[in-house]
Amino acid sequence: MDDLLREFSREQKDLTQILHKVQAEYGYIPAQAIRRVAEHLNTTENEVYGVLTFYKAYRLQPRGKHLVTVCQGTSCHIRGGAGVFDEMKKELGVEPGETTPDRMFSLETVNCLGCCAIGPTVVVNGTYYSHVSVEDVHSIIAEYRKRK
Amino acid sequence: MIKLKINGREISAEPGTTVLEAAQDHGISIPNLCAAKGLTSYGGCRLCLVEIKGKRGYVPACCTAVEENLEVTTETPQLRELRRLTLELLLSEHPHACLICTEKKNCEEYKSTIRKVGEVTGCILCPENGQCRLQEVADELKVERVRFPASYRNFEVHREDPFFDRNYNLCILCARCVRVCAEVRGASAVTVVFRGPQAVVGTALDRPLLESGCQFCGACVDVCPTGSLTERALKGEGLPDETRRTICPLCSVGCTLEVGLRKGRVISSHPKDGGPVNNGQACVKGRFVLRDVVHTPKRVLRPMLRRHGELAEVSWEEALDIIAQKLTAKRDRGHAFVVSSQLSLEDQYIARKFARNVLNTEPVLDSPSPSAPSAYRTVLQEHGIFPQLNFEVASLSEAGVILAAGTDLALSHPILWVNVLKAVQKGARLIVWNPGESSLNRWATYSLRTKPGSEPAVLGYLSRWLLERRPKDQWASIPGYEELKASLENQSTTGAIFSAGLTEEEVQSIGRLLDEARPGVFLCGPELFGRPDAAGFSRMFWNLAQLVEARVIPLAAENNERGVVELCPPGAANGLSLDQVVQGAEKGRFDSLYLAGTFPPLGESHPGFVIVQDCYRGANNRVADVVLPAATWAETEGTFVNVEGRIQKYKRLLDPLGESKPDWWIFCRLADKMGSRDFVYQNSSEIAEEMSKMLPALHEASSHHLKKGRPSFVQENMKSASRFIPLGFAGGTAGIASDSPASEDWVDIPDTYRGLNLCEEVKGLRRLRDKTKTRRRKQEG
Repeated sequence: MDDLLREFSREQKDLTQILHKVQAEYGYIPAQAIRRVAEHLNTTENEVYGVLTFYKAYRLQPRGKHLVTVCQGTSCHIRGGAGVFDEMKKELGVEPGETTPDRMFSLETVNCLGCCAIGPTVVVNGTYYSHVSVEDVHSIIAEYRKRK
Repeated sequence: MIKLKINGREISAEPGTTVLEAAQDHGISIPNLCAAKGLTSYGGCRLCLVEIKGKRGYVPACCTAVEENLEVTTETPQLRELRRLTLELLLSEHPHACLICTEKKNCEEYKSTIRKVGEVTGCILCPENGQCRLQEVADELKVERVRFPASYRNFEVHREDPFFDRNYNLCILCARCVRVCAEVRGASAVTVVFRGPQAVVGTALDRPLLESGCQFCGACVDVCPTGSLTERALKGEGLPDETRRTICPLCSVGCTLEVGLRKGRVISSHPKDGGPVNNGQACVKGRFVLRDVVHTPKRVLRPMLRRHGELAEVSWEEALDIIAQKLTAKRDRGHAFVVSSQLSLEDQYIARKFARNVLNTEPVLDSPSPSAPSAYRTVLQEHGIFPQLNFEVASLSEAGVILAAGTDLALSHPILWVNVLKAVQKGARLIVWNPGESSLNRWATYSLRTKPGSEPAVLGYLSRWLLERRPKDQWASIPGYEELKASLENQSTTGAIFSAGLTEEEVQSIGRLLDEARPGVFLCGPELFGRPDAAGFSRMFWNLAQLVEARVIPLAAENNERGVVELCPPGAANGLSLDQVVQGAEKGRFDSLYLAGTFPPLGESHPGFVIVQDCYRGANNRVADVVLPAATWAETEGTFVNVEGRIQKYKRLLDPLGESKPDWWIFCRLADKMGSRDFVYQNSSEIAEEMSKMLPALHEASSHHLKKGRPSFVQENMKSASRFIPLGFAGGTAGIASDSPASEDWVDIPDTYRGLNLCEEVKGLRRLRDKTKTRRRKQEG
């Protein structure tokens, strides 16, 4: 953490860059890091927290082993994407932005993946699953559960 | 001055003011919720939208600076509709049933529609009802319906912190609390977290305020335009019957507070804009603790006399007769007289007169540590220098460099800190110098942490470095130059700097800063002057201040500390010290002990007659022969002199509780019974009149007070010329004192009022102080 902070000035304009770097290093922003960053920039933890919650790019929880992204775009929606999304939430037991307690899956949503023709689309760790139905959800997740 | 037109009216405004301010100054009202005096413009509520000729659309008046020849229109049907719509949007997220209810009038009178629910669902159940800014604006804009579906955010109400609740279901996100905390108090304990519809005011990781650096000054509660932030103790109290002004007696700053009274009880205390010292700000003690100081169940309300081993209530006559009899009878070993240092000037004066003229003894003050202004002045007077002690709190904000030594300003003198922060925001440099961590460190250009006892060495090195930095002829004309130079050369070595835990470069850059950024102010806390080497400090600080043309301000800690210094000039009276009285009492050296101040608990076997005169039940009631109930400052009138040297008159807030009496009254009655004829006063103004012979400024103060003219300060000897004091005696050596205070306890905020330990009395204050201590220990550990 000390090495990481040394690269940056102590001016508050560097805050977002520092947070990016912290996240690249740890995969998320740990509570300890908030304190260190606040001290480095001579500000309070509250101010740092305010900025980092403003941007969706920063995570306060570590991401799970597998990242599940469900498309919420218009095309996917009219092809039954909402049902798929609900099923996925049920399957994993978490809300979007959260990670399962066993740290296996993180669920995120996206507004469009640019591949509307194959919707509803689900992406797991960069692998695209096309024409996903509510029934498919279980088997997709089961596949990754098996892999561990 | 800039000339502009608002609603066709020609008005002129200072450059830099906003259209909203200009309009308000000229009695033109524009609805607004997020703008507040002293805070930066935010433009969050969008209610102050106006039309400006030549500008597209509608502009927020609070974010638009005045310009030459602007033509502003504040009222048109479109604007009215727009504002109403905006307010309806705001209200859709704020429980508003009561605001638009057709039964509103009936309900106010007969409570016809009241329902019992746990949460605030409408104004009628809101603790802010009747003093809510949002209510006012809703009335102003005549909102009759809300066209948007209500959305309740369903946040849990934060009730975990002391003193106030945070119910963000009522929040309209005006960010006044966030801005006042960051801009005025420098705490940044809350901020807006998340974004868009999720946005809410909160702390890092949703911690309680106690963990987020909050000092509970209450500034956020005071600026909140809704019931989101409300004082817990005021819930269910309703509105005060009347409000009166007073001076807070809980520290040396002497804030003007507006106290709310209901049925003869103090229910609230608020700072008000324009107060001469605190200008709308207060601290945790003035804001949340004052009420308990008056109404604590620990108050003694009736005179008591020990009969058959038990204290029994008696009449004033009986109690005073017994005392007079005992005090007159026994005179062979003499009396000890201890007086509280927190009395008003009038009470203090009478107490002293009583002790000297009637008891033939020197009064002893009960404050354990020596007063900083007194210690500083005494040392310099030995050298024929009369240092200026008066200053104005507001002038701190004009300083170029501020050295805060031996004090955690934000805790010990919060209002001074508010002004120092203003200076820092304007570009002044702050140097914090303490043996331990301080909450100001993040604002400081340099924060020095030296080993306790090494301060004189650092000061000596600084002076020597500054002396050598400039050509000799610049200083040579100032008396004492040669001697100072010689004495510094012997003592201020580099080694001393290292053993203090600093490097030469650090000290030199501080020297450069002190020399270049002007004007400089050295704020020196009481911690420094309580040390055995205090005389050394005083001389060193004086010399250093001469070198960089700075001012030294030794900070008084208690409310009337400066007044006591003026009333009994240092060196004028040399009685026993408090410690000597304590030891003497144990050994039975006195016939009687008159304790009109705090005194360490006496042993059971104490000999002699003990009189306790206090507002609160204390440990010594156990052994007291007579207990006399004194009135608090709130129940009497009088004068304080605050840390600035400002003479502050205060009026009575309420009638004395129970049978308690003002201290001066008790002394006068007793003197009368003991046969003295010099104590015939009808009220405290007559005492002030007599006292003004000693302190001429007092006389002026009373007439000024009537005319509401210039503030009056105690008079000072203004002849002091610039000269140096050579060191060369005790205090100059760099040795680290072995009996120096432990670093973790270095900050000692006097949270007491006349023997009442405020931390014991008020749980919230205790939690706050404990938290500060553990945080400091953690940072140091």
